[in-house]
Amino acid sequence: MVIYGVYIVSKSGGLIFNHDHNVPKIENEHTFSYPLDIKLVYENKKVVVSFGQREGIMVGHVLTAANGMPVTGKQLDDGRDVLEVIENSESYPLTLKFSRPRMTTNEKIFLASMFYPLFAIASQLSPEPKSSGIEVLEADTFKLHCFQTLTGVKFMVVAEPSQTGVDLLLKKIYELYADFALKNPFYSLEMPVRCELFDSNLQTLLEQIEKTGISNV
Amino acid sequence: MSRQGTRLDAKKVNSELFTLTYGALVSQLMKDYDNADDVNKQLERMGYNIGIRLIEDYLARTGTGRCYDFRDTAEKIQAGFRLYLGISPVITNWSSAGDEFSLQFETNPLTEFVELPDNCLGLKYMNVLTGVLRGACEMVQMDVTSWFVQDQLKGDNVTELRVKFIKRLEDAIPAGED
Amino acid sequence: MTIHNLYIFDKFGCLLYYAEWNRLKSSGITREEEAKLMYGMLFSLKSFVSKISPLDTKKGFVCYKTNKYALHYLETPTGLKFVLNTDVNAQNVRDLLHQIYSKVYVEYVVKNPVVNLRDPIKSELFKVKLDGMIKQFPAVSKAS
Repeated sequence: MVIYGVYIVSKSGGLIFNHDHNVPKIENEHTFSYPLDIKLVYENKKVVVSFGQREGIMVGHVLTAANGMPVTGKQLDDGRDVLEVIENSESYPLTLKFSRPRMTTNEKIFLASMFYPLFAIASQLSPEPKSSGIEVLEADTFKLHCFQTLTGVKFMVVAEPSQTGVDLLLKKIYELYADFALKNPFYSLEMPVRCELFDSNLQTLLEQIEKTGISNV
Repeated sequence: MSRQGTRLDAKKVNSELFTLTYGALVSQLMKDYDNADDVNKQLERMGYNIGIRLIEDYLARTGTGRCYDFRDTAEKIQAGFRLYLGISPVITNWSSAGDEFSLQFETNPLTEFVELPDNCLGLKYMNVLTGVLRGACEMVQMDVTSWFVQDQLKGDNVTELRVKFIKRLEDAIPAGED
Repeated sequence: MTIHNLYIFDKFGCLLYYAEWNRLKSSGITREEEAKLMYGMLFSLKSFVSKISPLDTKKGFVCYKTNKYALHYLETPTGLKFVLNTDVNAQNVRDLLHQIYSKVYVEYVVKNPVVNLRDPIKSELFKVKLDGMIKQFPAVSKAS
């Protein structure tokens, strides 16, 4: 029973709420000798593993620290370029820390706006008439469940693939949204949901579900 | 994965016929080009064309996923030799950066009856293999190169094929989406 | 169970093959535009999935479902993409996709030496074998 996150997208496609519930932190530190047997590339202002993986360090992970010193982009905190340090044989043995990148808020907003057209195209490409958009999106590591209300608001839950009964959870979150966001006179439609009561009630709901299962809610 | 409805059993094609076919091909190329370097180049190109098709058969049979580490690649190449030639080359002599390794062959069904004449000293008899590896790896977004460093046909104890990783090739993106 | 249609794309996004069995609605655009739209959607879905995934993905995007149909996706390490639309209750479609790849595509396209792998598939034999496999698929015969 793991729920990874909850997202709410407004009718016009903007992300109005997101909550990371149980996203595991994947981080690995390993000491290397010269020459480094992992290939790194610098892209999108991050140093990323492009090939060669071991001890939990996977392709796509981002370099976050060298010898315990944090790395921002490709710069070490003392101003040196980390790629130069890695190429220099005198830096070794060298301890590097890699982690799976977490999404920034900007990336989440971008993804939410990306889901919107996908949802619509899925309906257009349907071989059957009158299809809805994507309701469940399945990958090997998670399942994304999407519930669109009649008013066009989308509720999305990212959960473990084996998680059942998420439809019920989505309806419950809809109720919370109706109760604590919409009924709050100071909340304006289409704007980000920043309501403490909504946050705390959602938190309680998710914790309860993880403990006792959805059917008991 | 034998083809349904075919009358040939893949396992029952005589391997000596295959050996002879390859031998005839190389010796004819030697006659046609009269220059070992050109023949090596032609063999590599033929190998490439085999490699880009063979990889699909390999993936379909083994159901294997993409490699994210060159050690993984080495093992999969070794498995390929077992599958298609029935031999298990030894993986050895890793470079310290983990981007180069050697495959050592004790036996090779394709060279069983071969004695290189004196005018063929520049010939790399098995150069087709370097092409197969390049073609197959290119199809799975990997740029590799390989070359022979030792050859039993030239009096060495073993035949050694060195394989080097050059770079990951980028996934193709649909036109107009960059 | 119902199988609606199948798309096969090469790694460059060219539509190599299209077939349909039970398609009740067309997208209202030409086949070519539809293929582009489909490929573009798959491309975005893949990138969406790899970013939103809480853990490292291996296969990545597998399928999606709407209230009317399910789209199943198989990508080989060589970048071939197989897309099969079925009804929402279809089971083991991934196996079927793998069979289409290994028993039909590899056998009748890759192993045909005169075929250029980047050209659309025109082989009659391929079509016959593919039809056979789709009709043989256990759940199909049950429904029909």
